[in-house]
Amino acid sequence: METHTNSVQVMGIDAGGTMTDTFFVRADGRFVVGKAQSNPADESLAIYNSSVDALAHWSRGVDDVYPELVTCVYSGTAMLNRILMRKGLRVGLICNRGFEQIHSMGRALQSYLGYALEDRIHLNTHRYDEPLVPVSRTRGVTERTDVQGKVVIPLREDEVRQATRELLEEGAQAIVICLLQSHKNETSEQQARDIAKAELAKLGVEIPVFASVDYYPSRKESHRMNTTILEAYGAEPSRQTLKLVNDRFKKHGAKFDLRVMATHGGTISWKAKELARTIVSGPIGGVIGSKLLGEALGDENIACSDIGGTSFDVALITKGSFAIKSDPDMARLVLSLPLVAMDSVGAGAGSFVRLDPYSKSIKLGPDSAGYRVGTCWPDSGLDTVTVSDCHVVLGYLNPDNFLGGAIKLDVERARQHIKAQIADPLGLSVEDAAAGVIELLDLTLSEYLRANISAKGYNPAEFTCFSYGGAGPVHTYGYTEGVGFKDVVVPAWAAGFSAFGCACADFEYRYDKSVDLGVAQFASDDQKAAACKTLQEAWAELALKVIDEFVINGFKPEDVMLIPGYKMQYMGQLNDLEIVSPVTSAQTAADWDQIVEAFENTYGRVYASSARSPELGFSITGAILRGTVATQKPVLPEDPDAGPTPPAEAKLGARPFYRHKKWVDATLWKMEALKAGNHIVGPSIIESDATTFVVPDGFETTIDKHRLFHLKEVK
Amino acid sequence: MNMQDKNFAGMATNYGDLLGNGLTLKQFRDGIIERTEATGHYNGLEKLAFRDSDPIGYEKLFSKLRGGLVHARETAKKIAASPIVEQEGELCFTLYNAVGDCVLTSTGIIIHVGTMGAAIKYMIENNWEGNPGINPGDMFTNNDCAIGNVHPCDIATIVPIFWEGKLIGWVGGVTHVIDTGAVTPGSMSTGQVQRFGDGYMITCRKTGVNDTPLRDWLHESQRSVRTPKYWILDERTRIAGCHMIRDLVEEVIRADGLEAYEKFAYEVIEEGRRGLISRIKAMTLPGKYRKVSFVDVPYKHPDVQVSSAFAKLDSIMHSPCEMTIRGDGSWKLDFEGASRWGWHTFNAHQVAFTSGIWVMMCQTLVPTQRINDGAYLATDFHLPKGAWCNPDDRRTGHAYAWHFLVSGWAALWRGLGQAYFSRGYLEEVNAGNANTSNWLQGGGINQEGEIHAVNSFEASSCGTGACAVKDGLNHAAAIWNPEGDMGDIEIWEMAEPLLYLGRNVKANSGGYGKYRGGCGFETLRMVWNAQDWTMFFMGNGFMNSDWGMMGGYPSATGYRFEAHKTGLKERIAIGDSLPLGADLDPTHPDYERHIDATAHVKRDKQCITTEDCYENHDLYLNYLRGGPGFGDPLDREPKAIEDDLNQKFLLPDYAGKVYGAIFTIDAKGVFTVDAAKTQARRAEIRNERVARAVPTREWMKEERQRILDKHASVQVRHMFATSFGLSEKFKSDFKSFWDLPVDWDLREEELGVPSYGSKHRMDLSLLPDVHTVVQVEE
Repeated sequence: METHTNSVQVMGIDAGGTMTDTFFVRADGRFVVGKAQSNPADESLAIYNSSVDALAHWSRGVDDVYPELVTCVYSGTAMLNRILMRKGLRVGLICNRGFEQIHSMGRALQSYLGYALEDRIHLNTHRYDEPLVPVSRTRGVTERTDVQGKVVIPLREDEVRQATRELLEEGAQAIVICLLQSHKNETSEQQARDIAKAELAKLGVEIPVFASVDYYPSRKESHRMNTTILEAYGAEPSRQTLKLVNDRFKKHGAKFDLRVMATHGGTISWKAKELARTIVSGPIGGVIGSKLLGEALGDENIACSDIGGTSFDVALITKGSFAIKSDPDMARLVLSLPLVAMDSVGAGAGSFVRLDPYSKSIKLGPDSAGYRVGTCWPDSGLDTVTVSDCHVVLGYLNPDNFLGGAIKLDVERARQHIKAQIADPLGLSVEDAAAGVIELLDLTLSEYLRANISAKGYNPAEFTCFSYGGAGPVHTYGYTEGVGFKDVVVPAWAAGFSAFGCACADFEYRYDKSVDLGVAQFASDDQKAAACKTLQEAWAELALKVIDEFVINGFKPEDVMLIPGYKMQYMGQLNDLEIVSPVTSAQTAADWDQIVEAFENTYGRVYASSARSPELGFSITGAILRGTVATQKPVLPEDPDAGPTPPAEAKLGARPFYRHKKWVDATLWKMEALKAGNHIVGPSIIESDATTFVVPDGFETTIDKHRLFHLKEVK
Repeated sequence: MNMQDKNFAGMATNYGDLLGNGLTLKQFRDGIIERTEATGHYNGLEKLAFRDSDPIGYEKLFSKLRGGLVHARETAKKIAASPIVEQEGELCFTLYNAVGDCVLTSTGIIIHVGTMGAAIKYMIENNWEGNPGINPGDMFTNNDCAIGNVHPCDIATIVPIFWEGKLIGWVGGVTHVIDTGAVTPGSMSTGQVQRFGDGYMITCRKTGVNDTPLRDWLHESQRSVRTPKYWILDERTRIAGCHMIRDLVEEVIRADGLEAYEKFAYEVIEEGRRGLISRIKAMTLPGKYRKVSFVDVPYKHPDVQVSSAFAKLDSIMHSPCEMTIRGDGSWKLDFEGASRWGWHTFNAHQVAFTSGIWVMMCQTLVPTQRINDGAYLATDFHLPKGAWCNPDDRRTGHAYAWHFLVSGWAALWRGLGQAYFSRGYLEEVNAGNANTSNWLQGGGINQEGEIHAVNSFEASSCGTGACAVKDGLNHAAAIWNPEGDMGDIEIWEMAEPLLYLGRNVKANSGGYGKYRGGCGFETLRMVWNAQDWTMFFMGNGFMNSDWGMMGGYPSATGYRFEAHKTGLKERIAIGDSLPLGADLDPTHPDYERHIDATAHVKRDKQCITTEDCYENHDLYLNYLRGGPGFGDPLDREPKAIEDDLNQKFLLPDYAGKVYGAIFTIDAKGVFTVDAAKTQARRAEIRNERVARAVPTREWMKEERQRILDKHASVQVRHMFATSFGLSEKFKSDFKSFWDLPVDWDLREEELGVPSYGSKHRMDLSLLPDVHTVVQVEE
């Protein structure tokens, strides 16, 4: 039956600041992308409009398709914007007495977080953001627990009652409690939480109370406090937003339960306890999508590269899994959330290009033109050259088909600006100056990519590079050339890859718990077994939390697959490595030895084998438990092989293209018209509305049955 | 042939051909110096042939090497266990060319642009290639303050880089270790007064071959310090980073060729020289800028317990500075008149000064990644031989050279601020910077039962100097580290057996002004779970070591608070009130109300002490200083004063006294400043000022008489006497300025204070077989 085989199963949503993208996948792997203007006041409406736009390609409607959908994943910037714009709840904070200013002081590093290197050293550029909670809504209570978890000064309960009352008077809509060293011993903080709740009940007030140990029980109070405040400040309002979205789905007949992309790379229910984890989700989508594609292609080591207008993001998937950073920063706040490890360099297709007035060296970014493209767009109001200007001048981009022809670009205008600002001062021709800028950017990106791979102890030859993002395919050849990747892949849907990736994510909860386990190098079997016991207890505790979350969403405990992990370091170090446990349960000395071996192998690879320090002993600092349940993933297209020769209708003509100091005619192709198996030799430019894939001379590409381009250097 | 044979063969025969050009390293270096002096361009590079013919290729090489240095630092620092390295980022990697001139450096403590270069130059000048030999896979370790290191706790690992058997450069890595085995624990201790107590001192020693540290070195070094665990991982951090960078250089040469790399490694230094000159030209106004700074060295107090009677002296360090900016953008920094070095640990080698200064300059004048030895070459330094910043005696102690470097440079920063102001770059102005103290240090047996030393780095987050358009930033940075961070309490409590009882912004610590200096902060600690524990203080107490600008006030000076026999154990048990949080108003102390009346409290201006014993439940206040202010406080916006009052950045008394603010306070303690009444009060204050003023000539007459009468404290007279003793020029300038009689003089011997070392001194260069490297005009 037509409707059966071609039913629409999966929907991905990427609700960005300006556009809301939706991505629908059918059972046969065909997909459509929809776009609509974002609507911060009611995101559900933008999603609805975007869905209508997408489904029109299939001549279908929302009321018809929503009920068919098996699964839907949302990612968006709503939570992040709420934080950046300081539009959250009025949170009251209870901390240790004597530390009332620590949140508003912040960590000094927050005064330059997110800065480019040169501004980080330039003192007068540093500044603090407004704290999420002012000192006037902060109260201290007498209590101190020490670093080993011993209560030194017991909690003075009356002070908690009074603090609760005072915060209410100050208009608090939620109360956060975060006491020092509570990750080590939660007793005092939980006691404070219960007293605060009881006091609220007594006063007949219903506002939520967030204790940091119930949410993010990890060492480093500034991270833990910020994250718990974030939860209170932004998560509840965001939950209301998601409820609106979910309600609109239901209204149109949807049967699925909306899931949200979370920082740890899995999706969680919009009903989940910890919604602060959704603060960043869009960029993670690409990593998840790459993982799924990698599984389809049989690649377990993938370098994910995403280049947009302002930044270049790199993430690595090694042996089928991505790395997690446990104390990342976001919105200029240090946090304690597990975040898919991504490294960013502030250089992208829209970056401004300038000559340093002092050294005459070319400087890229860190600021960028964003939606204003460059001086090539006369309406942009810009007069500083951007990377896009260089692309236009060199024939990389089609001036008449930028964003599907939505805006027309003026090549001559860009030429004049490049000549005056870059070429003449350097004594180069406009072409050589523009090409130099592109080469420099590509080199920066490829060195960054290479450094990130070697820093993890790998060789690029073991990796397949996935290149996506709106501007990715223009640069792919440039930043992969000479790096020596096993394969370089550009998906035909590079521009909508994040939304696709979100739809690929597992339904996965992840919980972390700090533990402090120290075991000497040559410890006795009993000591090793005792350490295993502690670790196992932590896993068991986390398992309950993970399973609880799934039960809220109607799963049975036996549906959940649990994956234990741990964080380990040499005793005394301050940085740990996260390891997926080689044993599913830790009991014996032999288990401990395996745990240690897995750590030492990773350590030697990441740093240097000479940096191994087993003589110091080993310590486990954190227990990790991930739990997943099976979900419907997007199916990849499976097209029949149409042979190497592209169909005639795919050929659009030719355009002069400059590289390596000469102009050549590049053949133009229409991306959508190319068939599986088609082989294209450079110089060629493959265009679609949303992206341009450049295949210069010395390169060739083949499109496979999944509509993935494989780019090769031919020497 | 193994390494040792090769080494031996080298020693016996042609060790001179490390460079593959028939020249010894010294001959090669002499050639470069000669060409630089003859042309005014580094290595005679009047043209940058590579950069001009292939600007893109040149930039690519730059970007590869610089990216690699930064990346190596980020990766390697995760190996360390010391929060100083891992949290505070006190490590740095630098790439040098074959003669030890800095090509590029990573972020971090950029002060080490030249310190490791000085060590390499020392090896070159003293024929290390002959003995102990320089071979691929070697490692050298240095922390010798007599040849250019800042202080002994900066340990450098230096690795030569070879290509096809030819020495093409060096890479150095430095970390600030937590203890150096000095007389007292901590990395910058106070108990010693000479080099011989400064701790383990290593002079460019070969400590590894075949990329492996030597066992004798490992055993000796690890037992020479109190904290071997940190020491071991710090060394592994340095080695791993150096090797990453060596690999990177090899990779670059494989890709771009040796010729391009070598051209780059010299041209980039000349480019750095030109870069600084063009910055100075663009940002400043030519002319002479004169500034001065002072700091107190109060060693007479009984709480400074040192082994030598001659060191028991209260003295003042003096750093007059004349910055001459010439029309062509070159400049001279002249410290003629600086006071003599002393019997303490605050002396600095000339290289500590000339190299370290870039960590300050790159926060303001040259905030760029393109910092290398070119900047040094573009600067004429005059540091009088025998001064605190260029000692002429091989016995000097250097453990906390920063005590005065921070103030000496803050004066320069003010000078620059004035130059920016004159040129109209108001946003770039800073009214100087904080004295980055207190340094909480000490040691004993920690909570793990191990011998331990502590050295808090909360001092990396002091208040910054006010700008000409905005306030300084609170608890944000240090003159030696723009990327300051106070770190998490939960991490410091792992490293220190000291329970935090508070962490707060320090009220009144930022200098008052139209724009106030950034406030510092303070943390109160209770000794906890320690045994045989000691601690001490270090910072400025009696003197402002930094001044404000254009009518702005200096930041507050330091004070110390410590309490023993506090009775806190019992007070906790019975639920009595406790000292928690800020020492809000030291004039009306509050902590003392929450400890036993019989407690032994020290609350005074004695901010330098030596190791003293602390029991569990004793208290120690770590107060980190604020920055100086800009502009007349009477011009400060009333709203800004109100905000400061409400955030406890300013004490109410001073809002009235200094700012002329008239305000009210409501039942909840919220302050409101009345703008109209404030304006009226300010008019009165201005009138009072006028009434108090005397013509300059009158005032100078009085002052001159005081000079003739020698009516000044002995510390001030001593300071000038040591400056006069070193510089006839300074003395004669002083005398002509004050129009003093020809026979007027002020000499140390007339003061009746210890003057040991004032006459008889012996420089390191007088030792047999030692060739020191001089890089400044003396």
